[in-house]
Amino acid sequence: MAGQSDPHVSLFSAEELEFMAEDELVEIVPNMRMEPLNLLCGDYGPFFPQMVTQVPVWLAIALKKRGKCSIRPPEWMSVESLTRILESERESQDVFQVLPFHYVEISKLLFDHAPGDIPDIYMVRSLIEDIRDVRFHKFETSLESFEAARSSAVRINNLSAMEVNIARPFVSRALQAFYKHTSPDLVPNAETVPNRWQQPADPGQKRTLRKR
Amino acid sequence: MANYYDLDDIIAEEERVSVVFRKAVNGVGIDASAETDCVEIDSKVELPFWLAHELYLRKVVKLKVPTCFNQKTRLELGADAACVDLRSRCPYFYEFGCKIARLFNSCEPETRVEGRDLGSFLLSAFENRYKEVLAKAHSAAFAAASKCFTLLTKEETTMYEAAQSSMAAFKKWRMGGPRFQKASILGRKRKPTD
Repeated sequence: MAGQSDPHVSLFSAEELEFMAEDELVEIVPNMRMEPLNLLCGDYGPFFPQMVTQVPVWLAIALKKRGKCSIRPPEWMSVESLTRILESERESQDVFQVLPFHYVEISKLLFDHAPGDIPDIYMVRSLIEDIRDVRFHKFETSLESFEAARSSAVRINNLSAMEVNIARPFVSRALQAFYKHTSPDLVPNAETVPNRWQQPADPGQKRTLRKR
Repeated sequence: MANYYDLDDIIAEEERVSVVFRKAVNGVGIDASAETDCVEIDSKVELPFWLAHELYLRKVVKLKVPTCFNQKTRLELGADAACVDLRSRCPYFYEFGCKIARLFNSCEPETRVEGRDLGSFLLSAFENRYKEVLAKAHSAAFAAASKCFTLLTKEETTMYEAAQSSMAAFKKWRMGGPRFQKASILGRKRKPTD
């Protein structure tokens, strides 16, 4: 995989993730007639005016820039579905809702290139921002409790590409440090000896990361 | 040794350890203020860790627990781990601590009274401070961050900076807008969108 040249920062930059997200499919409504496009990544078209067809995001944006189509926002990008997702994100502390893997990138691409095609764009934009904030906060709280689990792995479902990418540098370093400090030649019997330096743990705190 | 070419590893080994000589040693200039070039038995000297380590393996010196892991620091860390200024005590607190702890663990039982639980102490110190770093790393503004930043050790700083830079890169991307700007002449008649 083409990674960023500096491995210490992050495996991928945000721009690289955006590039990968451009391979996702969206529906467009062309306003021109065109033969099918036979590309390496697949065949798209034929294009007829007012006939909905599926193309990758990069192709949709290229056609949109030339004024040849309008982009149909995906179903999850409607106000109703985003409101529902935001509510259920706020309800449960442990579970992440199912969203497209590239939802941050796709929504940003559509906001930038096809703002006229999205109904209630301000509402949609702020809903997506809220969802992202809630999810990231939830992610941080679940990372807080993972040191209590004394495990060298974390399991969190349904994180999106961008969220993982933001957290990756920190989490990998933290896990490495925990791994180093729990190695048996440093802490001979960490499991059996209760740690007298540790502050009393909150009894209400759950091991959220082991769920599901 | 973790990594031969790791600069941090090398600098961490420069940390001072106080040792007590078990034997009299002739012809060494370890103590600069001494009149003669010899170290008497039972004299207490501070040596860099790499030297103390080698001498210890040859049973020339006895190790003492370094000041940054003494009882006072332990009590402070037990009270409120996040507020303790570990950087001024030892910038490589964990790295150095791990090296020392391995040495204490490997030695015979009667001499390892003080440093025995150093490993678990390091772990709990890291656990308690980790929460604080995590809470601030992805969110804190730069102005507020600089205050707590001065308390962190080298290892915590790398974690913290990694989180900050990845978050900053994401924010830059999000605010960036379309990569290719429209020529001004094209958009003149339209109302600027957002």
